[in-house]
Amino acid sequence: METYYTLLKSNWDTLLNSILNEYDIYAPFHFGESIEYSIVTESNVKNIIYNRPKPSTPLKTFFLPVKENVVNPSKSDKKRIVMGAPSCDLSALSILDEIYLDKDYIDPNYSGHRKNTLLIGFDCHSTLEHCHCTTYGFKPYPEENTDIVISYIEDKIVLNVKTEAGETFRKNWINSYERITEKELTKLNDIQTDVEKELNGKNADLPDYQQTGKLITASEEDIWQRYSDTCVSCGACSAICPTCSCFLFIERPQFEKVRSIDTCQYPGFERVAAGEDPLRPLSKRFRNRYMCKYVWKPEKFESKACTGCGRCIEACIGDINKNDLFRELNKKETVET
Amino acid sequence: MTTATVDLYKPVKATLTKVIDESPSIKTFVLEPEVEFSFKTGQFIQLSLEGIGEAPFTPSSSPLVKDRIEVTIMKAGFVTEKIHNLKEGAVLGIRGPYGRGYPLEKLYGKEVLVLGGGCGFAPIRSLLYNLEAEKDKIKKLTFCYGSKTPKDCIYKGYIDHLRSVDKFEVYRSVDQADDEWNETEGVVTCLLDEISINVEESAAVVVGPPIMMKFGVQKLLDIGYPEHKIFLSMEKNMSCAVGKCGHCMMGKYFVCKDGPVFSYDEIKDQPDIWK
Ligand SMILES: Cc1cc2nc3c(=O)[nH]c(=O)nc-3n(C[C@H](O)[C@H](O)[C@H](O)COP(=O)(O)OP(=O)(O)OC[C@H]3O[C@@H](n4cnc5c(N)ncnc54)[C@H](O)[C@@H]3O)c2cc1C
Ligand code: SF4
Ligand code: SF4
Ligand code: FES
Repeated sequence: METYYTLLKSNWDTLLNSILNEYDIYAPFHFGESIEYSIVTESNVKNIIYNRPKPSTPLKTFFLPVKENVVNPSKSDKKRIVMGAPSCDLSALSILDEIYLDKDYIDPNYSGHRKNTLLIGFDCHSTLEHCHCTTYGFKPYPEENTDIVISYIEDKIVLNVKTEAGETFRKNWINSYERITEKELTKLNDIQTDVEKELNGKNADLPDYQQTGKLITASEEDIWQRYSDTCVSCGACSAICPTCSCFLFIERPQFEKVRSIDTCQYPGFERVAAGEDPLRPLSKRFRNRYMCKYVWKPEKFESKACTGCGRCIEACIGDINKNDLFRELNKKETVET
Repeated sequence: MTTATVDLYKPVKATLTKVIDESPSIKTFVLEPEVEFSFKTGQFIQLSLEGIGEAPFTPSSSPLVKDRIEVTIMKAGFVTEKIHNLKEGAVLGIRGPYGRGYPLEKLYGKEVLVLGGGCGFAPIRSLLYNLEAEKDKIKKLTFCYGSKTPKDCIYKGYIDHLRSVDKFEVYRSVDQADDEWNETEGVVTCLLDEISINVEESAAVVVGPPIMMKFGVQKLLDIGYPEHKIFLSMEKNMSCAVGKCGHCMMGKYFVCKDGPVFSYDEIKDQPDIWK
């Protein structure tokens, strides 16, 4: 499904205001230097940031909150709209869905949040230094896992409605709209093509997803020791990764459980009774995250376990750059063959 | 096996009706769940102590018994120590059963070899109960069991019973014998030199501490067992037990859901299988 509508930005703002009682709406806003999701109110509707990569917090936190009671969840019946997720974050939902909506064991909380949320993704009209979605086969404009996609061009909001749910929303709330003109469509396509070109250009020396897995498997211990040298096991790379999805249960009274996000980057993640811990050595623990994303998950799941958002590079306080690591492995490979 | 989605993580309550001392560090806990609870041999449960912790255990009782469930637990750390301190009447939580148990259909018609060490006897006992009830379906059963010292041997009465079961043979070893021990002394794999088994007609199940499983598998391969006829029950750190939390990842497998029982050929190329 792919239907374009346009409306004046001022009308779109009015529309958002008019549905605030119906929905909790989240959208990206500036917080100092960074962009962050926040709840939309009448007073901030005009400050929503359109088409700029990318909220510091990944989209996943709307579906897998940092902490959540999974036996006795707090319920809110109000429907939710999450606006502003970039393509990398939306595509990352595919692997989360495979895990959390696995038909053998459907996760009640995750599935509830997914059903209760209308997703309105944004095209990226610019890129950040470490963005590399196209390297792994994703476009800088959302193609999947979103109900509607928005591009804000000149004074118009261009809506690309992609699902039934998106179309229902459009029918219910948007009554003054226009069909997209040829000129507007060309303009939209030009922006998309330019951004894609820019990404391909600056990441030309990065190996693609499949190649990355092969390089990691063939790599030697030395490079992991070198790159993990400044790792302090803070877990930020996993916390901000749109596809990392590990957690730990914490027991509460009444046999309740609180799910708390966890990561293989914390010491003790795989520790078993009597203290045996395969991931105790730092370089091995560090490499585990790469093995998980580029070697093991690809063998198990259909969806990719890295969408090239680049957040793990931005977030690392040890200044570890995974793309430098892959460039180095790639170069070595090219020299050797 | 789609699980009712709302209750995925909610345990059912079970009352502790009896505690049996098996060895200085191992006890068996007899639990009566408030609703009927059935499992297949080799599947595991998550046992929780309200507000304290939860850990995975494989029931040691017969899968054919539906009104109670027994778990045999070695004191190994925080949660198991608290469980060891429980008295009859305590209420625990259980959820499950989870995972893929022993592939019974691959044992039928065979001379079944079971190799166990230490607390590995617990999950094996449920398999033995199951196979005893179905002994017309197997050719014979050879059980080799090793423990550290005679004091650490568990289920003594049950061993005597097994020795009286038609088609069943039992061999035991201890690493360190005492004056009264009149069976084998040495690591459990040396029992494989004593048994007579037709490898061609056999399938093997190995359960025990990682080091024992490692050497056990090596020896079985040496004496001619093909990789796909050796079955192992793997132990990994676990939290969710339903293939989500990532703690039990062993390469491409979630041990909780894809296992815990694997054939050796399925896992031999995965990382850290013996850790
Ligand atoms: C499928 C399966 C079946 C099993 N069956 C049996 C059985 O029948 N009988 C039996 O005796 N045992 C069995 N075990 C082993 C049993 O689950 C462990 O002995 C038990 O989990 C130990 O728990 P503990 O809290 O006492 O030990 P601990 O050593 O205190 O803790 C073990 C668990 O808590 C976590 N943990 C503790 N401290 C930390 C920390 N600081 N940071 C992070 N994590 C921490 C560990 O990572 C680990 O998950 C089985 C295990 C599995 C996977
Ligand atoms: S591994 Fe890094 S680049 Fe890939 S999706 Fe996660 S945070 Fe983004
Ligand atoms: S990289 Fe680590 S934290 Fe992330 S999903 Fe894989 S095992 Fe979990
Ligand atoms: S225990 Fe959570 S994925 Fe296996």
